[in-house]
Amino acid sequence: MLFSSGAPWLIVIPGILIGLIFGAIPGLQISMAMAIFLPITLYMDFMQAMLFLTAIFTGGGFGGSIPAILMNIPGTSSALATAFDGYPMAQKGEHNVALGIALGASCFGVIIGYTILLLLISPISQIVLKVGPAEMAVVILWGITLIGSLSSGSVLKGMISGLVGLLIGTIGYSEAGVTRGTFGSPYLLDGVPVIPAMIGMFAASELFRLARKDYLVEDRAARQVSVRLVLVGFRRALANPWIVLRGSLIGVSVGAIPGVGSSVANLLSYMATRRSSPNPELFGKGNPSGVIASESANSTSEAGSMATLLALGIPGGGATAVMLAAFAMHNITGGPQFIREQTDVVYAIIIANFGQAFLLICLGLLFIPVLANVIKVPMNYLVPSVLAMSIFGSFGLTGDLSGPLTVLVFSLLGWVFKRYDYSVPAAVIGILLGGMAEDSIVYSYQISGGQWSYLLERPVAVVILVLLAVSLFGGKVAKFLTGRLGR
Amino acid sequence: MTNRHLIALNKRRVADLTLLVLLAGIASLYCFDAARASTHIYNLIMVLPLSIAIFILCTVQFVAALRSESIEAEEAREPTGALPVIVLFSLYVLSLNWLGFDVGTAMFVGVFLWVHGERRWPWLIGYSVVFAFVLTFFFSQMLPYPMPMLLPGLANAYPF
Repeated sequence: MLFSSGAPWLIVIPGILIGLIFGAIPGLQISMAMAIFLPITLYMDFMQAMLFLTAIFTGGGFGGSIPAILMNIPGTSSALATAFDGYPMAQKGEHNVALGIALGASCFGVIIGYTILLLLISPISQIVLKVGPAEMAVVILWGITLIGSLSSGSVLKGMISGLVGLLIGTIGYSEAGVTRGTFGSPYLLDGVPVIPAMIGMFAASELFRLARKDYLVEDRAARQVSVRLVLVGFRRALANPWIVLRGSLIGVSVGAIPGVGSSVANLLSYMATRRSSPNPELFGKGNPSGVIASESANSTSEAGSMATLLALGIPGGGATAVMLAAFAMHNITGGPQFIREQTDVVYAIIIANFGQAFLLICLGLLFIPVLANVIKVPMNYLVPSVLAMSIFGSFGLTGDLSGPLTVLVFSLLGWVFKRYDYSVPAAVIGILLGGMAEDSIVYSYQISGGQWSYLLERPVAVVILVLLAVSLFGGKVAKFLTGRLGR
Repeated sequence: MTNRHLIALNKRRVADLTLLVLLAGIASLYCFDAARASTHIYNLIMVLPLSIAIFILCTVQFVAALRSESIEAEEAREPTGALPVIVLFSLYVLSLNWLGFDVGTAMFVGVFLWVHGERRWPWLIGYSVVFAFVLTFFFSQMLPYPMPMLLPGLANAYPF
């Protein structure tokens, strides 16, 4: 099916390129690219359509890291943690290495993720069926714990930032059917648009500060674009297989949970890597391990969400929802029956993604040197251009002026937070998780009737809670025990 | 330490304390707004505990900042050189409804370049106009909804 002719592969290359471009332009989403090109898939057979759409997904997964590293704009929520260390690396003149690391971790992650999917698609789908709001609440709680660990300055101010972010995330309609915190603005009825808020807090506020500099990297020699250094970064990602493997496992398992996916997976992987590092204080200042952790998780979560889509017919997010539409256009329904009756198609889709990972390496290596030239643009040209692009992108996300206004408001908030030593990443994570956390807590409350013991009756939730406790306190307990035994 | 430094430090501390009061105030205001809309548990299950936690943490930080003698962080404060950019960016966003994405973007980029020292007129006008046109044209073609424009002819034409 895949190798009998070259035809299926011909549409993979344009698919990856479309994904790379849409991922690399802040404000254009992978799901938007897939939706725009969905009608074209009507003229393809089902297998080709799936290859084309998953190629956009794969290319976009890596493409999102490019603006995150070069401009501190996490164009998608899945590239949020990439910006934490990728952008400081670019500021130090290590942009080539950072992009190479992101490419290596993404490709390596896709391969590991789909290997896991190839071996475990049935068990994964069984576990996903056992995941309910309680498990989602626990996973989101896990993500929220990152807020505490991201406070590089005052811990108290870090906590305040995170909690303010969580509170902002709850603005809009509540489960009780009333609106709160909108203060009469119709733009806020559906809540604060998360990605424009993220662009404002991270990118625009940083650009205000950078406007006074001549170049992003002041040292002329460090501004060079070097394929050799990109390859050095690529190899560095491969030299850290444990970080990639951990990120991939987190990516697949969290990516498989509908509605959570890659936006939380990259944060959890980042947090796990930071906690297990002997030098956690180096994270957020340009540590390559942070980029590896984030990129391996967000690219692998694609495999996780594909597991849910193929095995259960449930889309985990925007991109898989478009794929579900492609299923419908070809009169195919995902689910256990699909896996049973069309096993060859399922495994062909999975195996094709290995090929896509290798094609992404080639296309990424061709594409990165072109994009890395951004670093050579003088700041008086780069700053207004990126600010304008973020405004166009935010309009593209919301379809009205609420997007640009959100960027403006949150850029001011981000600037004030930076100026007074509050943690911007903690606030952004709060905004991202606030709404999700509230929904899953309310659903859990509805199902349990207010009995917290209900959580203990959910084996998957208990396992996640234990993992959470181990990730939070495991290192300290081990250190304590080793110290006691040493005496 | 000079008198000028001391005045700057006092200003910084006042600003710090004001921000804490603002954050605690906004959190409380939001909580009251939510409670006024509905006191149902589904409405307050997150908002109430979060608001209380923010209020408590802001109070603790306020007291700590009042007592603090440390000036290390204050000395690292950057100057307020970002203010002109903030004002220009705010005017750009707030004028989009009237100036449109096409003219508004060209003006924003042009004025920004001029303020930041670009005096080569062909570059200044050429870059701002071409950049605004390319960006406006690309997005108007890609997005399925109309964008505010001042110039006719850049209207949306959704390709698919």
